[in-house]
Amino acid sequence: MLKKTSPISVILVSSGSRGNKLLFRYPFQRVSENTSSATSKQRSPYVLNTSGDSIEDQDGDSRFSDIILATILATKSDMCGKKFELKIDNVRFVGHPTLLQPPHTPQANADASVINCMHNLSRRIAIALQHEERRCQYLTREAKLMLAVQDEVTTMTETDGSPQSPFRQILPKCKLARDLKEVYDSLCTTGVVRLHINNWLEVSFCLPHKIHRVGGKHIPPEALERSLKAIRPYHALLLLDNEKALLAQLPLDCSPALVRLIKTCSAVKNLQQLAQDADLALLQVFQIAAHLVYWGKAIIIYPLCENNVYMLSPHANICMYSPLAEQFALQFPGHDLPSMLAKFSLPVSLSEFRNPLDAPVHEAQLIQMVVWMLQHRLLFQLHTYVCLLVPPIEEEPGLREEEPPLVTRVTGRSLSTPSALSFGSPTSSDDMTLTSPSMDNSSAELQTGGDSPLNKRMTETLLASLTEHERQTILRVPAAQNPEDLRLFARLLHYFRGHHHLEEIMYNENMRRSQLKTLFDKFRSVLVITNHEDPIISLFQTPPD
Amino acid sequence: MNKNSVLNMGSYRRIDCIFFSEFHPTLGPKITYQVPEEYISRELFDTVQVYIITKPELQNKLITVTAMEKKLIGCPVCIEHKKYSRNALLFNLGLVCDARTKTCALEPIVKKLSGYLTTLELESGFISNEESKQKLLPILSTLLEELNVTGACTLPIDDSNTIHLKLIEQRKDPLVVQEYDVPVFTKNKDHFTKSQWDLTTQQILPFVDGYRHIQKISAEADVELNLVRIAVQNLLYYEVVTLVSIFQYSNVYCTTPKVQNLIDKKCLQEECIHYVSKLGQRTNLRDVFQLYCGLTPGTTVRDLCSRYSHQLQRVDERKLIQFGLMKGLIRRLQKYPVKVVRDERSRPPRLYTGCHSYDEICCKTGMSYKELDERLENDPNIVVCWK
Repeated sequence: MLKKTSPISVILVSSGSRGNKLLFRYPFQRVSENTSSATSKQRSPYVLNTSGDSIEDQDGDSRFSDIILATILATKSDMCGKKFELKIDNVRFVGHPTLLQPPHTPQANADASVINCMHNLSRRIAIALQHEERRCQYLTREAKLMLAVQDEVTTMTETDGSPQSPFRQILPKCKLARDLKEVYDSLCTTGVVRLHINNWLEVSFCLPHKIHRVGGKHIPPEALERSLKAIRPYHALLLLDNEKALLAQLPLDCSPALVRLIKTCSAVKNLQQLAQDADLALLQVFQIAAHLVYWGKAIIIYPLCENNVYMLSPHANICMYSPLAEQFALQFPGHDLPSMLAKFSLPVSLSEFRNPLDAPVHEAQLIQMVVWMLQHRLLFQLHTYVCLLVPPIEEEPGLREEEPPLVTRVTGRSLSTPSALSFGSPTSSDDMTLTSPSMDNSSAELQTGGDSPLNKRMTETLLASLTEHERQTILRVPAAQNPEDLRLFARLLHYFRGHHHLEEIMYNENMRRSQLKTLFDKFRSVLVITNHEDPIISLFQTPPD
Repeated sequence: MNKNSVLNMGSYRRIDCIFFSEFHPTLGPKITYQVPEEYISRELFDTVQVYIITKPELQNKLITVTAMEKKLIGCPVCIEHKKYSRNALLFNLGLVCDARTKTCALEPIVKKLSGYLTTLELESGFISNEESKQKLLPILSTLLEELNVTGACTLPIDDSNTIHLKLIEQRKDPLVVQEYDVPVFTKNKDHFTKSQWDLTTQQILPFVDGYRHIQKISAEADVELNLVRIAVQNLLYYEVVTLVSIFQYSNVYCTTPKVQNLIDKKCLQEECIHYVSKLGQRTNLRDVFQLYCGLTPGTTVRDLCSRYSHQLQRVDERKLIQFGLMKGLIRRLQKYPVKVVRDERSRPPRLYTGCHSYDEICCKTGMSYKELDERLENDPNIVVCWK
């Protein structure tokens, strides 16, 4: 629910020698709140306050007068420097009391991670304010202004008799007040906050819960972080905005590495190639990529190539009236989204999707459409996973009929050997020999040269992790008679647990797709193969349970 | 819910301390009783006392304050009367937990307790009378123990008042139940005493077999459709059933990444083999895994049966699919017809918008899959998406 990630208001409270003061709050209290609270419904004390109530009670905060807010939010000094959390009925206050001044952000019943993020924001603002206070007493000056306006308004009310909100008057006079208003507005809409405290210190923050929404649910930051940690050099970064738009959003003093990366990145380039082309260390590329993903500006995919197989995402909105359909029609005149999506009802590879007889221009457009659909989370990619499972002891594999052919793709055709892409960069992501894998990932390079005792021993060691029955069954496979094949099988054994897809094995072991497929086929009586999305990056296409 | 689930619940939401705090006419806010003794330090109480014995504006509100790694949940009460010194009696009975505990389920308990104490005071001066107030200490002890161990407490206070408390676990709102959804029991049906459930649920229970969909249950049990939906939604809420889709041999499924759980988790393997094996037989992991992996886009269950007839000798394919869906190992691919040609003159489509699956359309219109297929295949303006 969108409301659960938006704050109810932003409050600034101070506690000092002159007592506790509410300096500013936004949105302002409605002055006629006395009458409205009288008509609010009676609550039986035994009714459970469910999260549903907090949505109707958006103005719950208006039940709290300025004075009481000042009292409850101005904490004692031993609560300073730490997260402050207070819940009153169904309103929750989160802040970071700072020995100078505490900004607070109240909220409805919300996820613990949303509260943590809000606290993070409070803390950042507090740190910036503390800095500016030390440097030029910024906060004291702003506080004086706010209190002065409040006093003015109080005297005016006493003489005129017409109640007014002091905070409304504060806004035009006080930059800090405007900043706090902006925090509130930004959090409620885009979830991205960017401020310049005292026109000097930048505070930027994003609420991942607002930014990362797939299929109506948000992706929790913890899941996001887990996925980001699992990114590999063979993954690629797909920008969600076009390059120009993205560059325009960056602050003036942003790192040149970021700019270079954005300019160099492409859907067909993996992160390793990106590092080389942008002249950056791989680690730096990882960090910048993670940063862009966290801010909702990019997602992680497997780089586009001929052999990639895509399928319609179960969460894709295929309704003919969806805003996506309209956008697609504008972007690609003459084509309609549902027809395109229907083509991905069965898994289809990029090479099948393009018609080689079409003019090259048309071909390029088809690729752009695929990129567009990936950006809008309509497609996901299928990968092949392998698992070692030997037939149980009672069964003699020889007595069984011939195993059904490995179902590696639904069409049943074997994949063609990788060819260089005819679009984009000259290197095909499928041709892994161009990218050298990190040595600690590939298993030990075995000596070439047949059946040497060293090789035999190595093979035996690798197979030693299996049970006797498993070992025997594998050795009985006809292909095991060929020592090269057996050696390769043994070397790749640790990938056959269903957690490493084909492309990962190719990258780590510096092998071609065709080599692997042939091996799988030879040993199909002890292997089971399936295709599904990569659970690590599927986070971006489908929300986690 | 059986006792075991309640026990687990109790330890998850452990209450570390229960306290009774009041405004003493001369000493001010203090903790009069707390169990265990000395749990709340002087320092902690000083920091949070403004939230325990509060200004009038905050009275009767559930207040949860987090400080020094602890969470204190209370509901300050104020009873005004001339007979009290300072003309008012202020007190608060609260709970203390670890700061990381999720305390939503404890809030109704605190609210209820504040209500009980208020009643007791108004009826018989239970709190203002020094003698009867002492009874609070053993009451707090009992509360602490029973709530932590069993999650419930029934405690007679005096001749006319008994405290009844129960920790209710908060659950997620269940999904909307559609007519074409199929409820299937996640636990053994026989574990439940039928009389625990309401009459509607009792009437439909015999028809919840993991194959009948809501519409069919409604027809055969002779219960109105919406009542069936609500009853099943209730069962869903308590996680007694889960929803799967209608089984047909023409259905298409595909594996999800979770299918690897069958390889990783031994207990799941056992459960699966037990569930899907035909009566009197026992299949093996490889056969079952091969069958699941044999489910791919474009492959119907019928196709699976002919390709994997050997593996299916010992496996009931309906149970295989059911288990796979329940555990998320496989998912159903549904067909969605979408009309593409936007002819200004023709009426906008009602059901062929891409929002309604074949299951739904067939359920609503009474057509069979085959009939719907035939109708749409010949229509050049309709494309079908699978997802």
